[in-house]
Amino acid sequence: MNPMTLNKYQLVIMADDKQVVLERILQVTRYRGFLINAMNAEVNTGNNVATITMTVSSDRPISLLVDQINKLIDIKGVKVDNSEVQIQQYSA
Amino acid sequence: MTESKTLTGSSLLFEVLKDHGVQHVFGYPGGAIMPIYDALYDSDVKHFLCRHEQGAAFSAVGYARAAGTVGVCFATSGPGATNLITGLADALADSIPVVAITGQVPTAAMGSDAFQEIDIFGLSLACTKHSFQVTDINELEKVLHQAFEIALEGRHGPVLVDIPKDIQLAEVTQRLDKLSHLKNKVQLPLADISKALELLTHAKQPILYVGGGVGMANAVEEVREFAEKTGMPSVSTLKGLGAINPDNENYLGMLGMHGTKAANIAVQESDLLVVVGARFDDRVTGKLDEFAPNAKVIHFDIDTAEINKRRTADAAILGDLKGNLPLLTTNLEISVWQQRLQQMKTDFAWRYDHPGDNIYAPAVLKTVSDLMPSNTCVTTDVGQHQMWAAQHMAFNDPSNFLTSAGMGTMGFGLPAAIGAQISRPHDTVIAVSGDGSIMMNIQELATIKRYQIPVKIVLIDNAKLGMVRQWQDLFFDGRLSETDLSDNPDFVMLSRAFDIKSQKITKKSEIKAAVEEMLDHDGPYLLQVQIDAAENVWPLVPPNTANDKMMEGA
Ligand SMILES: Cc1ncc(C[n+]2csc(CCOP(=O)(O)OP(=O)(O)O)c2C)c(N)n1
Ligand SMILES: [Mg+2]
Repeated sequence: MNPMTLNKYQLVIMADDKQVVLERILQVTRYRGFLINAMNAEVNTGNNVATITMTVSSDRPISLLVDQINKLIDIKGVKVDNSEVQIQQYSA
Repeated sequence: MTESKTLTGSSLLFEVLKDHGVQHVFGYPGGAIMPIYDALYDSDVKHFLCRHEQGAAFSAVGYARAAGTVGVCFATSGPGATNLITGLADALADSIPVVAITGQVPTAAMGSDAFQEIDIFGLSLACTKHSFQVTDINELEKVLHQAFEIALEGRHGPVLVDIPKDIQLAEVTQRLDKLSHLKNKVQLPLADISKALELLTHAKQPILYVGGGVGMANAVEEVREFAEKTGMPSVSTLKGLGAINPDNENYLGMLGMHGTKAANIAVQESDLLVVVGARFDDRVTGKLDEFAPNAKVIHFDIDTAEINKRRTADAAILGDLKGNLPLLTTNLEISVWQQRLQQMKTDFAWRYDHPGDNIYAPAVLKTVSDLMPSNTCVTTDVGQHQMWAAQHMAFNDPSNFLTSAGMGTMGFGLPAAIGAQISRPHDTVIAVSGDGSIMMNIQELATIKRYQIPVKIVLIDNAKLGMVRQWQDLFFDGRLSETDLSDNPDFVMLSRAFDIKSQKITKKSEIKAAVEEMLDHDGPYLLQVQIDAAENVWPLVPPNTANDKMMEGA
């Protein structure tokens, strides 16, 4: 068993309310090496702003993910909401 | 919005292409894109029928890279669209502005597993900078403008626009008054200029590490001036080749896995890296933890996400390199460092006095490089021949050396050369290919034949997937698994089948005359160069090893 230290972060993402925007965020988050622990999305609301909050964890610095999500054209802004919380995860 | 004469989505596409100055497109028709091909029939845009959509995508990439503009390609739905994907991935990895237009089944049929329906929009998420699927005709014009803007804005990249057939046929009633504008994201400009200047004045052994971003930022002149005025020794990535004047006495050549010994040692010993438009790619750094271990880093980039991604920057300067780099020009007291490196450069210079009668590939490529006209554009495929071209040919601008760097895609060279030649009809274009790679898009010889595109092909033939064979010999106990190509087709006969003049050489003594004949020939030409199958690319930094622990051949 390798103890692996994962940091947990909460992100608040504001985006153009396009149908594809959730898929883009999910794809980038997985590809850049972050686990999604929880997610709440207010999308397709008709007012052109989608708000997505998600809790992610990774051993990588959160700035890596924030920068990559920010690069998505449909994204208006990303905020890291909490100071990081450390959790221990054991992988076989 | 203003009222104007009605036109269809398809003819609107060509209006927008005209607005963006598009004269040439590469593509392949099919059912779901027929309305667009019908509108093409009446358009001034010149379309080149490639013989595979991957060829069309790479020709668009070559066009974009050679001319510094956006390349455009068309494909139909389903298999046409999926065939574009490798080209889009290549363009994403190398930050190349391409706009790909795909036909899609009609909106009413979408999501029903219709004939030739694939979710190319979904597939595009991981291989484009951005993508659109247009389901409302009134969105089409805005989306198309945005596609061009996004491809060229900031860090360049490929954009896909998927257009269902009914949208291609729908009538447009309203036109936009003016070009749409991308919303500008507010980003904190990171510019540690004073920090950078301080680092620079304390540096005794600085190195300028030049990447592909320099050419794309149009900052070749500024980077050269910086290198000249400061006298800072410089190294280049594969994609940065041509940015630094090859005659600069403090330029040490390419760094990384197949870099020069002088470049790699210099970087390892440096105390400051001034990184311009480069991203610490693993092929450049070798073992990251041991890369330039004593160096501070000043990182210039247009993409925030590259700062601190693989190596922490002590000073980061985001934004336009052209404006930013000159701010750092100062006098440096580094003559001891310069002289040491110049000495290394001399001591470790390439040698071409290979024994025997057989052809030494580096010597052929050096000869081509010495004899080719000064503004020649060279493309390569992927493998040993690619690394030899990077090592032994000299380029006076990054737009004159087009190679699949980030993705390392075999099959790139021939279609990219076609695109380059179409964008620069008055320049010589040479594709340096391998006997494995050329077969990956060999069908594009038919494109060359049809349009009489005078591309010159130098085929480095070792009858092997040479680069893989080299690794099998060095790192897999010589177990040569599936890398033999000794049953290759007769390439000379194959060329003739496409009306392409061709010659095969096997001896050192034939090189000069053959290269001259090729360069003097007006039309397309294939020069097959038979080399020794056992030849390796040196030096080589083994995987996950520090760059100063290079292996060197006999
Ligand atoms: C599309 C693709 N498939 C596989 C590879 C892996 N690969 C890298 S170099 C190489 C051999 C290339 O052979 P050839 O074109 O003859 O060049 P050589 O190394 O012999 O000069 C292979 C198979 C690749 N880069 N691209
Ligand atoms: Mg080969």
